[in-house]
Order: sequence, then C-alpha cells, then structure tokens
Amino acid sequence: MEKIMIDPITRLEGHGKIAIFLDDGGNVAESYLQIPEFRGFEKFCQGRPVEEVPRIVPRICGV
Amino acid sequence: MSNNDKAKFAFYWASSCGGCEIAVVDIDAVILDVAALGDIVFWPCATDFKYKDVEGYDDGFIDITFFNGAIRNDHEEHVAKLLRQKSKVMIAFGACSGLGGIPGLGNFYTTEELFQQAFEHSPSTVNPDNVRPQPSYDVPEGTVTIPAILDSVRALDQVVQVEYYIPGCPPQPQWIAAAVTAYAEGKLPPPGAVIAGESTVCDECPREKSDEKSITEIKRIHLVENDPEKCLLEQGIMCCGPATRSGCEAACVVAGQACRGCFGPTDEVVDMGAKLVSSIASIAVPETQEEIDALMAQVDDPAGYFYRFSLPTSMLFRSIHDMTEGQ
Repeated sequence: MEKIMIDPITRLEGHGKIAIFLDDGGNVAESYLQIPEFRGFEKFCQGRPVEEVPRIVPRICGV
Repeated sequence: MSNNDKAKFAFYWASSCGGCEIAVVDIDAVILDVAALGDIVFWPCATDFKYKDVEGYDDGFIDITFFNGAIRNDHEEHVAKLLRQKSKVMIAFGACSGLGGIPGLGNFYTTEELFQQAFEHSPSTVNPDNVRPQPSYDVPEGTVTIPAILDSVRALDQVVQVEYYIPGCPPQPQWIAAAVTAYAEGKLPPPGAVIAGESTVCDECPREKSDEKSITEIKRIHLVENDPEKCLLEQGIMCCGPATRSGCEAACVVAGQACRGCFGPTDEVVDMGAKLVSSIASIAVPETQEEIDALMAQVDDPAGYFYRFSLPTSMLFRSIHDMTEGQ
C-alpha cells in the first residue's frame, strides 16, 4: 500500500507527523497522526516543592 | 530551496516548549534585519520545509542553525546531526539545547519511571491495557513509527559540535539581536563563546547585598514576606544568582522571584551546585557541623534548585540508580 509521509507537520506549536496510506485506486485508505514528543513532566514535577511547580510547568508549552 | 547569495538561516526545536520560537519573534523590529540578511530555509514552527528538503541541501548550505530544545529521543539526535552536517555554524539556542533545560530534569529518573507515571499512574490516565509508546507499530495498512526515547537527556553539544550558545529560558531579545548583528558585521566571537553577560546575576541584581553572615534558616518564598530591597539569599530564600551567568538583568529577582539559573554557569563556575553550596556557606550564620547540617536539611530539593536547568551538563549528568538496578 502506498504511504505518504507528511514530516514534520508545520506552522503549529508542537511536533508531529502524518502517515497517509493510499488504496489501489489512489484514495486515502487510512491516515495516522503521530505525536513523537515525550518529556515526562508527570514524573519530574513529583517531589519538587509545590511553589516551584509554576516555574516548571510553563515549559510544557511556552507559546 | 533558495539559491541566491543571501545568508541561509534555519531554526529547529528538539525537546522544547516553543518558547524559544516566541523569543525569536520577541526581537521585534530586528526580525526585519534577519529577513534582510538572509533567507529562512527550515523552521517547522513558521515555514513549510520538510526534513527531506534539508536532506537535499548541500553540506554547509545553511549559514546558521539556531537549535533549541534538548535531545530526548533518537529522532532529535538524528536531526541534530543532519543540521550539523548542513550548517556552517550551530548555535545552541536557549537553556534546553545549551544545558539540558527543564526536560533535563528527566535525568533524575529512568525512562521506565517516566513512562510509568505518564502512562500508568497519573490520576488522569485511563490505560487498562497498560499501553506504552512503541517506536514501531504495525497497522493493517503498513507500519507507522515514532522516535525512541533515549536513556538520558543531553544538551546539543553532547551530541554534535556547537559554535555558540545563546542562553536563557527563554533567550532575551538583546542577546539574539547581538548575535545577529555580530554575524552581519562579521564580528562573531571565537567559537565556544556564550553570547550573554560575563558576570553573575548577582552583579546585575538591584537588591542590596550586605556580604555579612545572615542566613539563620532556609525559608520558602511563599511562606515569608520578603524585603524587596534586600538580597533574597541573605534573607534565607534559595536563589541561584551567585552561580548564574548575567544577561537577563535579573528579570526573575526584579519580579520578586528567586533566580533558578536558566542562563547556566559563568565561565568561572565549574558546577552550579558546588558554587551555590559554597555561596550559602559563606553567608550562613551556623558554624558547627551539626548546625550547618540542620540548616542544609531545610533545603527541600537541593538538586532540583541547583540544577533546575542544567542537570545533563552538570557534573552529575543524571541519577545513576537505574544503573545499579541493571536497567
């Protein structure tokens, strides 16, 4: 099955790519949006002083 | 692909938040100088060039790549190497690419610990099958892939050679403008230079410093009313100013918050944690070992304060408990 990759997706905040699979007729059979980002804020905020968290989590998205 | 005589600029974000892209826009009218100087040939946030376009460029085609974000996965490592090959000058732009930044706090944990909290234990997660991100996944139509997380977060210069650093979280407009102007005038400093101040945040902090022994206890900033005229550290509030490079005009301290070291260490500081322990000790009132131990025990999260933005490039690099556990 033919696969078209849009990599990276652009003009937005964040990282992503799209895989589009075409059927024999050249029509879209299925497409997948993939988000390749992971940093682990869920973990590394744990145990930090609570007053520091507002100084860490703005870096989840700085736009 | 642009083939005129104008300079070629690229901007990239690896493991980042997008704040560095905003910093670029924050240079205000200087952005017009950038546009006059050169063409942008890659900038995912703002333009529609793809990775395959970059792959098609000749080696050294890009004059300057402004690279923000840490290296957290194998794709970011690949793009760092690709852009290095295509660029004459690489600038580590911002705290994440220069020091490891906030994503670098991930180096306190194993990848499994990070995944476990995000995909299993967090209160808002519903994941009964305990699904984890798979670098490669077969779907009925074929295979889709995402990057693999690396064991440790690294700064850009731990992956490729870097010529210059523009520090800060985010970088400040005056230093971005200084770098652009220096390039335009052919006056870039020797490679390795950090394009920012040369002293410490304390040196540009307007708060009054007595240089007398004054710390009797460590205080949490939200539990005390601090004197806005006096040095925060001397009031017992953890502040990373003594170890941190100047250039931000003490922005956080002026706003009533303590410095957290986003400009990284000065040239004279080997390790921010060591420097800060030394700074606290020099103005601490307690003198006996027991009193000093009791004082330092009041610092809730020393590693999280001292290496907030710089764990991957500090002497620690990462927590090694995973290695003893054989992971």
